[in-house]
This record gives sequence, structure tokens and C-alpha cells, in this order.
Amino acid sequence: MLELKNVYTSFNKGTVDEMNLFKDFNLKINKGEFVSVIGSNGSGKTTLLNLICGTYDLDDGKILFEGKDITKVKEYKRAKHIGRVFQDPKKGTCSNLTILENFALADNKQKRYSLTKAISKKRIDYYKQIISQCNMGLEDRMNVKVGALSGGQRQALALVIAGMTDIDLLILDEHTAALDPNSSETIMLLTDKVVKEKNLTALMVTHNLRHACAYGNRLLMMSGGEIIMDKKEDEKKNTSINDILTVFNEISIEVGN
Amino acid sequence: MNFLSACDVFLSQGFVYSLIALGYYISFHILDFPDLTVEGTFLSGAVAYGLICSNGINPFLGIILAFIVGALFGALTGVLNVKLKIRPLLCGILVSTMLISINLVSTSVGLVGDFTVSGETSIPYGRDVVTLHSTKLFSFIPARLRDFGNIGLRDLVIFFAFAVICKILLDFYLKTKNGLLLRATGNNTQFVKMLSCDPGKSKIVGLAIGNGLAAISGALYTEINGNVNQSMGIGMIVIGLASLIIGISLFKKVKFMKDTTKVILGAIIYQACLTLAQKLGVPSAYNKFIMAVLFTVALLLSGKLKFKGGSKNA
Repeated sequence: MLELKNVYTSFNKGTVDEMNLFKDFNLKINKGEFVSVIGSNGSGKTTLLNLICGTYDLDDGKILFEGKDITKVKEYKRAKHIGRVFQDPKKGTCSNLTILENFALADNKQKRYSLTKAISKKRIDYYKQIISQCNMGLEDRMNVKVGALSGGQRQALALVIAGMTDIDLLILDEHTAALDPNSSETIMLLTDKVVKEKNLTALMVTHNLRHACAYGNRLLMMSGGEIIMDKKEDEKKNTSINDILTVFNEISIEVGN
Repeated sequence: MNFLSACDVFLSQGFVYSLIALGYYISFHILDFPDLTVEGTFLSGAVAYGLICSNGINPFLGIILAFIVGALFGALTGVLNVKLKIRPLLCGILVSTMLISINLVSTSVGLVGDFTVSGETSIPYGRDVVTLHSTKLFSFIPARLRDFGNIGLRDLVIFFAFAVICKILLDFYLKTKNGLLLRATGNNTQFVKMLSCDPGKSKIVGLAIGNGLAAISGALYTEINGNVNQSMGIGMIVIGLASLIIGISLFKKVKFMKDTTKVILGAIIYQACLTLAQKLGVPSAYNKFIMAVLFTVALLLSGKLKFKGGSKNA
């Protein structure tokens, strides 16, 4: 469903600091795959997500989404079929709006933002039902401004909101990294639930090797803008954390981390 | 009686200027866009309204035209910022500078059809000019209360009505899908992008509304002034922003009041302070100085220059 073909990207182009990250990079993600991406800092994980979402432009190459070339499509237009949860819990929700208003906005995605009333009374119960699966008691606090919630609660809301509408691809950008261990587990379980229920294709970048092992059905390891490990289905199931850690340490020594 | 006429002055000016403040509520408070276009669009609204009235056309059309003109130039500021990536302050300066010429030329052309602007550039409201004050609709309201401090009741009612109507419309708008999107745009553009919406578009819409309101304010101000002159826009940025910040920060803790109500009250309080200074015998030449000082005080009151609730959390 998603394909990156011969992608080239660089930073600080035309200066002494020019850094070519991706050189002839290729990746194909099939429908229904839940891909965990790991790798050291600077290996290109987040850049990969930014390229897919359209935050960065590529120097050369193509990005195909459902067979269509989206290389030149703007970020906000791509978002129509892509949901994204960020590392920073503040990015995925709107702090000066209430939980209910955040829901109402997200519920209207893919439709026109017209001059009609934003909050429909009929939908409130539906919102409450979705948010209640986080088990955080947020369903009783629908009129609280999101800015007053904790990081974990905001991230849960961001996740639920991102997966609410009819999207095809869910992008998770180290979305548990800023949370405490407990909230991080809760969010991972919720993520798994959302992905399975909606039958989404997901791409998750994480620094937590255990999460990368335990969740998803495909594992990618990146280093220096290249994919150095790609394990699918059964092959992934048979890979233990220690196996990954061994490879991880090897590449870390190479890049000097 | 002196007190009543003073009340008349600051109330009517307060209601008129509250429209600029409401405009700034959208552009500055919600979108966090320091919009300097207002100085130009305030006058554009006045010119549009003045020309419509002095040409014998229905003054309500003048108000609508004022809004449209203001909104167009507000949108232009937005386009310069969003599409050409020019910084907000510069966009405002560019458009308001442009408007100095546009306002001059359109006044001259509208009055006497002279493109070279060699003659008169102010629009006087003579006895025969029908403005809102002299329309049939408001004729049932006594123009002045002679026994009651000679208050200009009719103007006061008109200005009050405009302030309240604009406030209600704005409140309604901010609850619509589009309005909610606007509020999200000021708070978190990334969130708006993930909703598959162009945050630039909402920004342009917000600036259009803000400047449209400023233009209506300019149109109404000509009723107080009795004419349109080319220096009317000067100082409007300070008046608008100070009213907004005084209103929002003074009533920060008041939960039952809508922000838009606070803004209108802020505008009235600000004008009351200025009127008070005048009544205490400060010559009018000091006016702008006092304005700026009051604004500074308002900024200090608003909690160390950080009055935008979102900036802490966003």
C-alpha cells in the first residue's frame, strides 16, 4: 500500500554541512502490516516518517500510496488518509479546546469545516464510548480543556483521535517516549487495540526494543539511512530481544554511538 | 450633567472601538498574529462608508461594503504571510502602507472622480447626507436627550447594537466547525494539518474577519467624527490591542462571562480612562501618550506580558 522508490534526501544542501541521509532508499509496506522501526539516533527513522507524511520533501525518488504517486502532494492533503501520533503529546491534540471539541474537530476530518454547529449532541455518547476504552476516566471530563490533562492522558486522546476516522495508515512517531513506564504500557496496549480493531496498516518508530519485539508483525532496523534488518511474521516471532540487541550494539560501535 | 456627557463620550467611543478589539480577539488572541493592517483597514472602512453615504446610497450597504473592503485587505495580509512567507509584522506594514495611497485615491475618485488626488481628500457629512444616524429605521429614537446631559442617545443605541450584534455573530461563529478549526489553528497548526486542513487558509479567514470588524469600526467612527479624514486610522492598533488585553486580563477570573463580552468591556474601560484624563484637564495633545501608557499598564496587568493561555501549554 505504501512504497518508497529510489528515495534520496539530504540535509543542509549546498553547505559544508551537507549530509546525505537516504541514498537510493527503497521500502515497501503491505496492507495490514504493523511495522516497528528501530535504530540509533540519526539513523533516519523519524526522517522516514516525515517523508511519508510530507513534512520533508525528497531530493529525488518517488512515494507511492495505494498505487498513487504522492511525492508532490502537500502534507495536509496526505493527512486525509494518514493518522499520526507524535512523540510530544501536545502535538496531537489542541490544548485550548475541550476534549469534546477535540473530538468534534477530529470527527469532521475528511468533511468540510462549514458554518454549522461543531458539536452534535448525538455524537457525544459515541465519543464517550471511544474514550472510555482508555480506562482513564476521561469520559466524565469531556468539558475539560485538554491543556489540563497529563501527558499520558493527552497521548491516549491523541491516539484515539488519530484512529477515529477512516484512515488507511497510522504513523506512530516514538509516541510512548515522553511517558512514564506505566502510561507507556497503557498507550502501547491501546495502540495495539486500535490497530487491530480498525485493521490499520501502522508504522511505529520506537526506542523501546521490547515494544518493537512484542508488538507488530514486521520489524525494521535502520542505520545510516539504510535498512539493515527486516523480519516479517514468523521470522519476527522467533527473534528475541537479545538477537536484536546484538545487532544493535554492533552497529552502534560502527557509528560510534 | 457634565458627568453624563462624559459617559456619553466614552460609552459611544467604547462601543465603536470594541469592534476593533473584537477583530484583534480573532487575529491576535486566537491566531497569535500581530496584525498591523488594522490602521489601514479602519480608514478603508470609513472611506467606503463615507463614499456610500455621501453618494446617497443606503448606509447599511455602506457598512456591508466597509466589512468587505476590510476583509479583502485583511485577507491580503494573510496571503502575504501564508503564501509568500513574509513575517506577520511586515505583512501588516506592507498592506497598511499600500492602503494609505488606496484610501487617498479612492476618496478623491469617489468624491469628485479625480484620479490625480489634487483636491479635497476628506468627506464631510453635510446636512443632506443620510448616514445611519439619519436613516428612517432609527428615527424613533430621540437623537439627543436635552434634559439629560444632552446625551446622543440615538448614536449610542446604534453603536451598542452593532457591538452586541457583532459579538453574538462572533460567538456563534466560534462554535461552528469552521470557528473551531480557527481556534485550533492558533493553538496547534500540526493538529490542523492532521485534520487534513490547510492551516494557512484558516489564518487568512481569521485575518479577513478581524480586519472586516476593524473596518466597520472605522465606518461607525465617522458618525462620531462627523466626517472622514485621512488621519483617522492613526493609533488604532494601540486602541484595539489595549482594549483587548485590558478586557481579557481584568476579567480573567470571571468564568460566566464570554471572552467577547470581556473585550467589549475592556474597550469601554479603556475609553473611560482616556475620558477621565481629559476631564482632569490634560490637554488633548497628550492623548496618544496617555494611550500608550495605559496600554503598557494593561500589559503589566496581564501577567508579565504572557496573557495567551495557550502559550503555556501548547
